[in-house]
Amino acid sequence: MKKVLAIVLCLALMLPLLALAEGDGRVHITYSFWGNQTEAESVQAALDVFNGMQDKIFVEPMQIPNEEYTQTLVNYAIADQLPDCGMVNENAVLYFSRNGVMADVSDMYAGEELQPMDCITFRDAGVPVGYSSCNEILILYYNKDMFDAANEPYPSADTPYTWDEFVEVAKRLTFDEAGKHPGEEGFNPEKIVQYGAFVNNWTWQMEVWALSNGGAWFSEDGNECLINSPEAIESIQKVADLALVEHVAPLNVIPEDNGIGVGIGSGTVAMTTDGTWRLGTDFPNLEINYGIAPLPVMKEEVTSCTSGLTGVFKGKHQQEAYEFVKWYTREESNWDSLVLTGIWMPKSEYYYKTEEGIQAWLGNEKYPFKDLETGRKVLVDYTMNYAKPACWYFTPNTQITTNEILFTALQSVWSGERTAEDVITEIYPELCEAIVVD
Amino acid sequence: MTVPLKKKIRYNRAETRAAWILLLPSVIGLICITYLPMIASFTLSLFSWNGLGEMKFLRLENYTRLFTRDTKFYGSLLTTLEYAGISVAGSIVYSMIIALLLNRKIPARGFFRAVFYLPYVLPALAVYLGWKWLYDYNHGFFNYGIKLLGGSSVKFLDSSAMVTPSLACIAVWLSGNLIVIFLAGLQNVPRTYHEAAEIDGANAWQRFWGITIPCMTPIIFYNLLMSLVTNLQVITPALSLTKGGPGTGSYFMCYMLYTQAFKSHKYGYGSAIAVVLFLIIAVFTGILFGTSKSWIFYEGDDKA
Repeated sequence: MKKVLAIVLCLALMLPLLALAEGDGRVHITYSFWGNQTEAESVQAALDVFNGMQDKIFVEPMQIPNEEYTQTLVNYAIADQLPDCGMVNENAVLYFSRNGVMADVSDMYAGEELQPMDCITFRDAGVPVGYSSCNEILILYYNKDMFDAANEPYPSADTPYTWDEFVEVAKRLTFDEAGKHPGEEGFNPEKIVQYGAFVNNWTWQMEVWALSNGGAWFSEDGNECLINSPEAIESIQKVADLALVEHVAPLNVIPEDNGIGVGIGSGTVAMTTDGTWRLGTDFPNLEINYGIAPLPVMKEEVTSCTSGLTGVFKGKHQQEAYEFVKWYTREESNWDSLVLTGIWMPKSEYYYKTEEGIQAWLGNEKYPFKDLETGRKVLVDYTMNYAKPACWYFTPNTQITTNEILFTALQSVWSGERTAEDVITEIYPELCEAIVVD
Repeated sequence: MTVPLKKKIRYNRAETRAAWILLLPSVIGLICITYLPMIASFTLSLFSWNGLGEMKFLRLENYTRLFTRDTKFYGSLLTTLEYAGISVAGSIVYSMIIALLLNRKIPARGFFRAVFYLPYVLPALAVYLGWKWLYDYNHGFFNYGIKLLGGSSVKFLDSSAMVTPSLACIAVWLSGNLIVIFLAGLQNVPRTYHEAAEIDGANAWQRFWGITIPCMTPIIFYNLLMSLVTNLQVITPALSLTKGGPGTGSYFMCYMLYTQAFKSHKYGYGSAIAVVLFLIIAVFTGILFGTSKSWIFYEGDDKA
């Protein structure tokens, strides 16, 4: 009896081996991603479609926690165990490509009808090294009910506020317990019950204000650090002063990627700047009667565009991984789960330049933002005319500069302990050194 | 003379072999998980390496840079020492007081013991997120209370001067394990000493200073050591609450090590910070051990 039991147990242990040995004649590749359970399910759904529509490639998902994502990929690279393809954080794209981890993408879209937009192409010294999976830009969200209550006209979708207008409107929308506005006699900044505006100070989102003020953080070839220019410094100070001097914004000293929650999502802030993915990820759950507009303008009208990349890593199954990534990042492959939910804006010009393309997503009744004409101006025209790539599309080592050095240093500006000029002057040599590190 | 000695050795060998076999798993663990990484970390600290590219031998360049050119290092060091100082002193005093109270015959003693131990077993991240809400500047509970009483909002986590004490308060609140160890110690203080002192007419305060505290010094030493080593390696509050800020307000050395190595991918530099942190902890532990003989009382010790 015991012998029989032992044999059965041994066989049971060998079963998984049998399954492995069986094989299905297909090339198995791995796709790595970060995300929560819902996102994991939507990824699995997309993989099921791909695995079902052909019989050469079988893609298996590999879920890695967001916080440790890049580090985990580095560990895999050191162990020579990288997945075949996967999502890559914006700030890690040039780091991976410079160190020879990413496969060449130069002919990835050759001869294709739908070409990804220039704005979302990662370049190292001018050479394309990757394409984002979608397009996202920064816009202004506002709470219509708060504007109505203050008898304030809504922000225009055609003519953005100048910075001064933005501050003035924000003042009229800010009031304390006694109903007083900033600048009025007896206004108590300690007892504010509604704030007029919140400019998301999550580090990378601050770059757009330097551009708006006629400056920049880095030169376009990514070799020079320009953040110590008076324009760039002034733009940081102006944003900090919204809370510190004008008293129209909530204090947010230690930014997290939750600007919407600190701002308009808290229910006590009338206007907030943030990315367009919020249309899909946050607003459907917020129950706020909201509108959208272009960002206020300091000197020049501009917005930043960005989005993570789905990359192919060098390896044995590079060709198969290419095929999958090309399919996976096509708008149609994620049409219902990501585009029509408002999380992704399309990445191909076709969806911005042709009426047919625009109607397909913005005009679709499932799209969460229902006002087609406003959407056309704020999402489509704004992208086409004013979007500039965020710094990590062309500047190396943003995982050090924006994510570490600037992130930590700027907190003293947000708290009002030091001025932007003081802080930037101090860290400037460190930033210059960081962008030339291998 | 030689024969029994040989016998003795053989007997010992068998015992030694058994000991080694039993110890093997933990020795292997210790070597692979602690000693080899320590050596690797020290070696790495002499190189520049971004994880994917070539390693470059730098000699002591990482250390020179850390001590002479890094604008955040000394701030980070002071912040860490400040945090460790406040939280070690705070948790020892707080745990001792709570342990003394819980050692009395109070009603529902078991319940209170559980309540004070509870923070220690809660998941760290949940604790810190809860405290984040308590400390929040705009909508936090503490500031709500302060404003209700007519005060003005305090920047608990949003000013570089307040952030370390605020975080240390959480560490003090979390020190339930020290309370348990103190309680165990208190129950070992011999009743007879107290009775003798009572007969001699000593009041409660004199008995506390003259009997309880001296009898507790070995436990205090243990708690002090553990608490110091843990708190010098602080990282969780910075990771979950403040991201090192504002400025370098909570840029603890462990957090600096973590961001340099695992966020900026400067593994050599991160390792150099790890080595320096190791030496700092070694120095403090050394000081503690060095002075221990002069203030620790062991029962049966001649000096007592």
